[in-house]
This record gives sequence, C-alpha cells and structure tokens, in this order.
Amino acid sequence: MRAIECGLATCSACHHIVKMPPRLDGVSICPRCGEEVVYRKKNSIEHTWALVIASILFYIPANMLPMMHVHTFAGTQSDTIISGVIYFLHSGSYLIAAVIFIASIIVPITKLLILVYLLISVQFQKGANKVKKKRLYQLTELIGKWSMVDVYVVAIMIALVHFGGLSEIKAGQGANYFLLVVILTMIAAMRFDPRLIWDIKEDNATRI
Amino acid sequence: MSEHIVCCHECDEIVAIKDTNRVGRFKCPVCGSLLFRHKKSMTEKMYALSIAALILFGATNYFPFLSFEVLGNLSHANFFTSVIYLVKEQEYLLGLAILMTTIVIPFFRIVLFLILFAPLYHKHIPSYAKSVLKFLEFSTPWGMLDVFLIGVFVSLVKLVKMGSIIAGTSVWAFGVLVFVLAAMQVTFNPHQIWELIDRNEESR
Repeated sequence: MRAIECGLATCSACHHIVKMPPRLDGVSICPRCGEEVVYRKKNSIEHTWALVIASILFYIPANMLPMMHVHTFAGTQSDTIISGVIYFLHSGSYLIAAVIFIASIIVPITKLLILVYLLISVQFQKGANKVKKKRLYQLTELIGKWSMVDVYVVAIMIALVHFGGLSEIKAGQGANYFLLVVILTMIAAMRFDPRLIWDIKEDNATRI
Repeated sequence: MSEHIVCCHECDEIVAIKDTNRVGRFKCPVCGSLLFRHKKSMTEKMYALSIAALILFGATNYFPFLSFEVLGNLSHANFFTSVIYLVKEQEYLLGLAILMTTIVIPFFRIVLFLILFAPLYHKHIPSYAKSVLKFLEFSTPWGMLDVFLIGVFVSLVKLVKMGSIIAGTSVWAFGVLVFVLAAMQVTFNPHQIWELIDRNEESR
C-alpha cells in the first residue's frame, strides 16, 4: 500500500508518517518535529526545470572561460577545464586526467541528462522501468557533489602559489560559473520528487 | 517495540518492519531502496567517532597542511588560507563556497553529532535533539571534505611539476578524518533516535 492512497505522507525532516487532509495539495504540520508536511514537494517539476535550464546555461561559460590563470616570469597561461585535461594527458598523468574529466565533464552532463529524462517521463506520464529510473535518480544524488573537485583544485593552487612576479595563480571567471553549475544541479536533484515517478498509473506503463 | 512502520522516500510505499532487532540494512520491498541501516550500539560508536572526528578536525586546521617551494620562496597553506586568498582577490562566491563546504558545515556537523550523542550515551535525551537532527538531515550533502581530499591529490600532482611540495602533518590527520566521517555517515541512523524521542514523550 502506498502512503498517498491512505491519506498519509512522510515528514521530510524526521520521517514521521503524518495523517494528511484529503486534498492532494493539503498541508499538515508534523506532530513530532513541527515541520510542514506535504504529499509531494511543491512545484517540484517547475523548480527542477528552472534549475536544470539555469545549470545548462551556466555550463557553457564554465567550459569556455578559463578556470585559472597561471602568471610566471615566462608569461601568462590560462587553463579551461578541457585544456587542463589535455595538459595532464600530455604530461602522462592519465589517472589525474581521468579524475578531472569524469568529475568536471562526465558527472555534470550525466546529472543534467538524467534529470531532463526524469522530468520528461514524469510530465508525459511514461511509467515504464520505474526501478531503473529510481536508480538513475539515486545516482544523481550520489555523484552530485563530486564535481566540486575542480573548484577545490583552483582554490588550493591559489592558496599555495602566490610569489608575486615569480609565479602566481589567479582564479578565472570559469571557476565561478562552474561552481554555480555544481550548486544548482545539486539543488535541482533535491527539488525533484522521486515519488512522482511511482505516482504514474500502471496501465500507462503497459501501453508504452 | 515489536513492529516499526516506515515510508519509503523513493516510492512512497508503507513498509511494516517486523524484526526490528535485526542488525543490517533494511530495504524497500517494492523499489529496493535503502530504508535505513540498523547498527548495534549506534550511540556508543557515534559518540566515539565524533570525538575522534573533532580531534582530527582540530589537528587538520591547526598544523600546516601543504607547503610549496619555488626557487627558495616558501608558502604554506591550510583550509583558512585558501579562503583568505580568495577573498583578497575578491572572489567572494568561491571563497564563501569553500568556507561553507570545507570548514563551517563539516565543523558544525561534528560538533552537533557530539552534543547529540554525548547526552544520549549517558541515557539522557537533550531538549535540542529535534533541531539538531533536522540540521543534520538537511546538511548531509553539503559537507564535502571527501571531495576536497580528491582535490588535494589532483593539486599535488599539478604542483609537483612547478616546484617542491611538502605535505604537512595535517594531510595525514585530514586523510583519517575523511574515513572517520564516512564511518559516521553509515553508522548514523536517525530513525532510532526519533523513536527514542517518541517513547520518551509517551512515557511522560
């Protein structure tokens, strides 16, 4: 039996099962912790779409603009995400190249693709492969924060390399945009309500 | 407590768990998601781990983290220096993000775990238990020290080519800290404490 069919919902803060008003947009107050309880996260689809679109837009400058500038006596070198990966490939550090490539390119793109797929399948009520969709959603939650690696690398390099004219590292605009992509996709995954996948009627699922 | 009823966060199924004393992972029968983990003597473990984490966190921030040398010029860095240099360069957004995800949120989480489990260990439920549990619930994804560890490895490889890099005492403390935090993450089961609070309120 599903909670929504019994007029029940879980508190998102303390997991308490709360008796709900009959209307589907009804709101209850959790008797255990005092938090507001709803059947489904409010405007989940709209908010997730907005955050996903914003992340896609920010992802473009995040890749085009440099993540950091390295000033040395020999001149200034600016590194974007891709040029950083290529640099590591040329210098033979394949493992590090793979880490950066996965964390900064594969993870954000996978996250965005999964969220778009889930949003579309909920909006068009496509109910097939629910368990697979659930796994995809859990994957976006799991990998979410790992894209921060590149931002941390920039921060550590800036903290260590500041020798005036000799060699100095400064953050580029790309780092800011990339940070926004990571944070916005994390919030987008949180705003999406996975229970919506399971709300899709079964007879729809068999038709597809 | 003979039966425990939980609701799956992924698929909204109501699951009645009969054998509540069983130790291990409890999964939703419909979608297979993890409902919660039941660990033996969770309070004792969490109390011990949070003390360890606090000591390691202190050591990580007190001792030098990384030192870097180019042609006789030496520079040191730890967690705060990276924030300070970012703010100096007016990268406020980056500075704030680093400050929150690697210092403020992990620190608060460790301290809150400690002030929650210390009284619980001595069989007392603190009055702030509910607010602490709520903060721990929502701050889970925002503590990113494990990601920072990978960031440290990548920057080490990057910097080795520019000069000589010296890993300080902190790096070791920090490496252990990440594992302690991961152990806390899999040991912590908020359901057990919420139930304790419920029973305590009923008996009053």
